[in-house]
Amino acid sequence: MSMLPRVCVVLVCLAGEGLAGNVTGRLDLPAPPERPPVAQRGFLDRTENPLTPVRPVNVGPNLVAVLEGEAKPQAPGQVRWELGGDAFGKPLLVVPMGAEVLITNTSGMPRTLVALEDPKLIAQGAITPGATKSFRAAEPKLYTITDKDVPHLRGRVLVVPTPYFAMVEVSGSKNEHGTFQIADVAEGSYKLRLFYKDGWIDRPDELVTIAAAKRNVEVPVKVPPGFPLRK
Amino acid sequence: MFWSKIWFFFVAVTGAIALTIALVLPRPPARAMVTEEHRRLTVACGVIGILLTDDARKRVDLTGAFARSEDIIKALDAASGADRLDEGRMKTVRSTAETVMKGIKGDRQPDFAVLIEKRGRVVARVRLDDRLFGDLASGRPVIDDALAGYLRDDLWEINGTMYFVSASPVVKGAAEYVGAVVLGHQVTNELAKKLITSLSVDVAFLVGENTTASSRTIALDQVALKGGVGALSGQDISRDCQQNQPFPLRAGSEELTGLVSRLPGEAGGKRAFYTVFIRRPVELGFLSTLGAVAQNDLSFGSFPWIFVGGGFLLVLGVGIALMLLESDRPLRRLAAESVRLAKGDIEKLAEDAHPGKFGSIARSVNIHLDKVSREAKAAKKDLNQVLGPAPEGSLGTIDLLAGALPAVRPGGPGPAALPPPSEFRFGESGAQRAHPRPATPPPVAAPPPPQRNTPTSMPGVTPPATPANARAATPPRPMPAVAPPGPQSQGIAVEEAEGDAEELLEDEAVEDAPAERNDPYFKQVFDQFVAMKKSCNESISGLTYDKFAQKLIRNRDELRSKTGCREVRFTVYAKDGKAALKATPVKEE
Repeated sequence: MSMLPRVCVVLVCLAGEGLAGNVTGRLDLPAPPERPPVAQRGFLDRTENPLTPVRPVNVGPNLVAVLEGEAKPQAPGQVRWELGGDAFGKPLLVVPMGAEVLITNTSGMPRTLVALEDPKLIAQGAITPGATKSFRAAEPKLYTITDKDVPHLRGRVLVVPTPYFAMVEVSGSKNEHGTFQIADVAEGSYKLRLFYKDGWIDRPDELVTIAAAKRNVEVPVKVPPGFPLRK
Repeated sequence: MFWSKIWFFFVAVTGAIALTIALVLPRPPARAMVTEEHRRLTVACGVIGILLTDDARKRVDLTGAFARSEDIIKALDAASGADRLDEGRMKTVRSTAETVMKGIKGDRQPDFAVLIEKRGRVVARVRLDDRLFGDLASGRPVIDDALAGYLRDDLWEINGTMYFVSASPVVKGAAEYVGAVVLGHQVTNELAKKLITSLSVDVAFLVGENTTASSRTIALDQVALKGGVGALSGQDISRDCQQNQPFPLRAGSEELTGLVSRLPGEAGGKRAFYTVFIRRPVELGFLSTLGAVAQNDLSFGSFPWIFVGGGFLLVLGVGIALMLLESDRPLRRLAAESVRLAKGDIEKLAEDAHPGKFGSIARSVNIHLDKVSREAKAAKKDLNQVLGPAPEGSLGTIDLLAGALPAVRPGGPGPAALPPPSEFRFGESGAQRAHPRPATPPPVAAPPPPQRNTPTSMPGVTPPATPANARAATPPRPMPAVAPPGPQSQGIAVEEAEGDAEELLEDEAVEDAPAERNDPYFKQVFDQFVAMKKSCNESISGLTYDKFAQKLIRNRDELRSKTGCREVRFTVYAKDGKAALKATPVKEE
């Protein structure tokens, strides 16, 4: 390649970087949802400890903000996901469409994983301690990954058709605040959607526009009480 | 026999009813026993559920106490603040936990412990997989709840072993969660035995088809257990014992009855359950009930011997009485009458005097007697064909000489009536029943008698019952006053035949041996014949003894050859006002 084309590529890249913006979200979270009832109780019902109130449900690991626009993921690459034995390192893993999910078993117990929505998504066979297994998320979809012998082991993989998404960090004494930041968002208009646990939250989507005049956008987001999901 | 049959029917029906009662009677108590057995199983199943729940409460309390241990709080607080967990920390925390566990008092020592930092990672394990650490345990519901601040229990199945586990949050100070602890108690045979101490049943804990603990070392029928668990329905497993029915269960050759109840928790998701079972009581049938009778059951105090004995005697007495009335006595009467018939005291059996079948027997005997009589008559007809037609009223004898009977028979008047010639009699004795023979020849009546065709009142000459030697012993034989054509002696049957006397006298003489012609018997007959001729005013010119004797001999031989008789008796009588002669064959039976 001669010098001229190289210079052109660098200029284009610089110009592109110059048009990218950041989207920051500030969420006004409702009271966290009730802890789900015990699916398989023992001989006794669970009881609150007498020393201190029980901790509210931490919605952060299951709450994600997604900007949906015309931009499609480019070379999404590989995403690592830790399998910790009886749970995944992240209960909800968000990956751009086309990315490869690499699962690493960091526990001392072998696990045989399967995607409930697509049994052929993950190659058959156990993942022994220390071993890995990968699959490619080809279409935007929510996958539930589990081990049929260990039903309480359950993780979700959300495949989104955009490279712009971020997990929400929850703070406050009662988990009433949340924030997220999506960097390097290309110029354009996007819809901001919130995903919680098993589905999209039923609320009006915000329109987010990244323009040359306004590269950093802060979006106030209000989440309806109870984290209602769209049907 | 009617009432005897009724009685036998009554006795048979009573016996059948008694047998039915004996066979059926053990069943109600057997059903009651089964019902009681089921009730006992249901109660035991429920009690075991209560005991397990109570045990869970104690374990949760124990875990809470463990979690409040200062050493545990410090260890988990430190682990929660660390960026990563290493083996050194693991060993330190494990050692600390082991020390705390050893300090637990009571007979329910935990079999393992798991210590988890506040983010859900295992800091250390004690006594079970104690080299593993760092893995995320927060996925387990009981640990997730404990990290959130709840106390609760659960059941785990680890490597084919069932554990009752309980979890508690570890709280530092008054408000900060620093992790959680889990204590596990293995479900052991000792625990199973302890649970059934006062229940008189057995219990086994299973996960799927794997028996993890049992109060008895026994291989239960997994198919039956699977069916029992499959029949369980409803979400509330605490009502399994009350809502489900006991079912037959086998263990080798042992017959059991079992009841199952699902177990809760994680292990419940792997089809964990417990079964309560007892030995199925032997169903006592009739024979088994008899075998179970004790000596005391048959004592006078507990068994109505008087009632049973009285009933037996009553039934026996009525049966015997009916036998006597309807069988024995009529049979004896028939037997006695048969003896009289045999003796000749009666001619037929009295049919109407015997009831029922005995009358039928009498009728059958009489019918046979009539048949024999008819056959005898038929034999006489054959004689008539041989000897020619018999004179009217002669009843089958051969009228050899036509002539009228004398009015008065020699030897006195004859009987008013004679028995039919076909009737047979058995003499009481040979001497008594032998035909009587007068010691002297009967006098010939002088006036001619009125015309009578019946030989019943005529005089006759009876031949000897035995051949000539007998006659030689008693010559000359007198004519009997009565000459019935009946048998002459016991064992001798007599058939009579009549012939035409004129023909006999007119026939050519046959030369016979002079010795036979001089037989005094023939002379006697000749004299009677001459006397009868005279009494009938017939001429006796031309009548010579030799010619008469030859004719008699010839006719006697002829009768002998044709009838097979031994002797022939000749009787003189009057027929149509003329002297007649009748030849009667005497045949010994």
